[in-house]
Amino acid sequence: MNYRIPILILAFIGTGLILISAGKEDGLGAFASTPLKWEIPKGFPKPPTNIFAKNKLTEEGFQLGRKLFYEGKLSKDGETSCGSCHQQFAAFSTFDHDLSHGVNNSFSTRNAPALFNLAWMREYHWDGGINHIEVQPLSPMLAANEMGETLDSVLFKLKKDTAYRRMFKAAFGDPAITSQRMLKALAQFTGSLVSANSKYDKVKRGEASFNAPEEKGYALYKANCAACHMEPLFTDYSYRNNGLALNRFTDIGRQQISGLAGDSLKFKVPSLRNVQLSYPYMHDGRIFSLPQVLDHYRLKINRDQPTLDPILQKPIVLSDREKNELLYFLYTLTDTSFTKNPRFAAPAPITIKH
Amino acid sequence: MNKAKLLLLTVILSGLIALLLPSFSVPAASARLRVHFVHTAAGKPLLQDSLYLNPFNETYSVSKLKYYVSNWHPGNKGSCFLINAFSDPVISLDIPPGQYESISFLLGVDSVHNSSGAQTGALDPLNDMFWTWNTGYVMFKLEGVSAASKSDLNRIEQHTGGYRSPFATMRQVNIVFPAGEKMEAGKTYDLNIEMNLDKYWKGANEIRIAEHPVITKPGNLAVMVADNFPGMFSFKSFLSH
Repeated sequence: MNYRIPILILAFIGTGLILISAGKEDGLGAFASTPLKWEIPKGFPKPPTNIFAKNKLTEEGFQLGRKLFYEGKLSKDGETSCGSCHQQFAAFSTFDHDLSHGVNNSFSTRNAPALFNLAWMREYHWDGGINHIEVQPLSPMLAANEMGETLDSVLFKLKKDTAYRRMFKAAFGDPAITSQRMLKALAQFTGSLVSANSKYDKVKRGEASFNAPEEKGYALYKANCAACHMEPLFTDYSYRNNGLALNRFTDIGRQQISGLAGDSLKFKVPSLRNVQLSYPYMHDGRIFSLPQVLDHYRLKINRDQPTLDPILQKPIVLSDREKNELLYFLYTLTDTSFTKNPRFAAPAPITIKH
Repeated sequence: MNKAKLLLLTVILSGLIALLLPSFSVPAASARLRVHFVHTAAGKPLLQDSLYLNPFNETYSVSKLKYYVSNWHPGNKGSCFLINAFSDPVISLDIPPGQYESISFLLGVDSVHNSSGAQTGALDPLNDMFWTWNTGYVMFKLEGVSAASKSDLNRIEQHTGGYRSPFATMRQVNIVFPAGEKMEAGKTYDLNIEMNLDKYWKGANEIRIAEHPVITKPGNLAVMVADNFPGMFSFKSFLSH
């Protein structure tokens, strides 16, 4: 069979296309990938996997991800962005809401978790149902009670927007807008949300020191909390039942994912970093203040549940004074350089639903 | 550089590429195998939205039938295709030349591709075969209607998936060539594989529509369905050109 003539034609067209794109005649600017260095903060462990190994971190990819994170077009009503429920000033949790507001005045059934240090997480969501940072955004985007969209529709809207075609080209080399590229760009932004500059971190680096109550609180933390909320990430990312009653949504947590009865009522241990800002607490936001959280662990654990974590079988004993010292320590985990970092802020004002 | 020069350069480059390409572009070292999945139910060709009787005498029709076939052997490790029974039942493989007694594939998506982040092509979540709340691909999707179904609108909605032990649902399928088949380099062959839906309902396990009209998550039920997968596929015919 003679392949030469069709190949000649194809090669001619192909070479022409290459030359045209090199000549920037699509009016969408150039491919400008500026590598970004992602550093492990001092004292932090190496992440379990390198989330950027197959998703090269660049300034252009990060900025595209940032724009997408705050983009209302990812939702059915055009104004419910990721940033609507993950607010920077609340360490990317939903400020003061137990449950979040989705499209059509709907409610989610879980509390929006704070977003930071996601590169160290193996699985995402309270039940760990998501196995990779790149595919997480599909869940809220497509859920009827969150952003309520379809993937086709989101891509259709992005493709119509010249600004996106320009940014996809800058980040990926050509203006094609695909689900994979959108998700990889989002992962470049969310994976870059690193919080490692609280007073606690400064003390560890020798740049500051705890006052007396904070120091006592740190000792109390180590004695009572550190088994699950392990330093320096302040979580071990395990799934545990911490003695909360089954909620009105009959949310059984991890069991829903694993299918194993032994995982009933287990939820992922959240980080204590920025805990002062990420209230309300627990998977359904049922506890509105930190003192009440500590009272739960002191007094209210339901010990009849067969899957209750063995560590919590033994009562946690704290005096009121110790409770306050512990609180002072927890406040040292607040990282305002993270919550006020302009690189993580919305590039333009967005709607936040209250 | 002006346009005339660009054009000239393009022509020269094209010529050079055309001279070089033939040695790379013709898969001279491979045989081309077109695999056709021929879907049947109750001994008849499966047509969309037509009525059939399953082995339990339940009437049903199928509106959607999609499944993944991946990791073809020989010579196609890592390959992945999405079969749509009503629009896209044919795939094309490059096979190393040789004498073969069988060909095999994985019904479903392997665990690596279930846990490697955002994918493209057959695995693009746009194909509507991806669970967003419990990451993983639907390996096999059958939707339709049956009078035997007690679910809303008498629907059948069976999405079989799950890649984690002990609820993994991908299954190895082996297609035996009764007389052995020789495939030569540069030639094209057609393999017809029958996919018999009767064996989907009644194989290693019995899946009655009345009992299980809806399956939408990994677990024991999905594993029961998956155990029927290998028995559904069989050799139908092989043609060389």
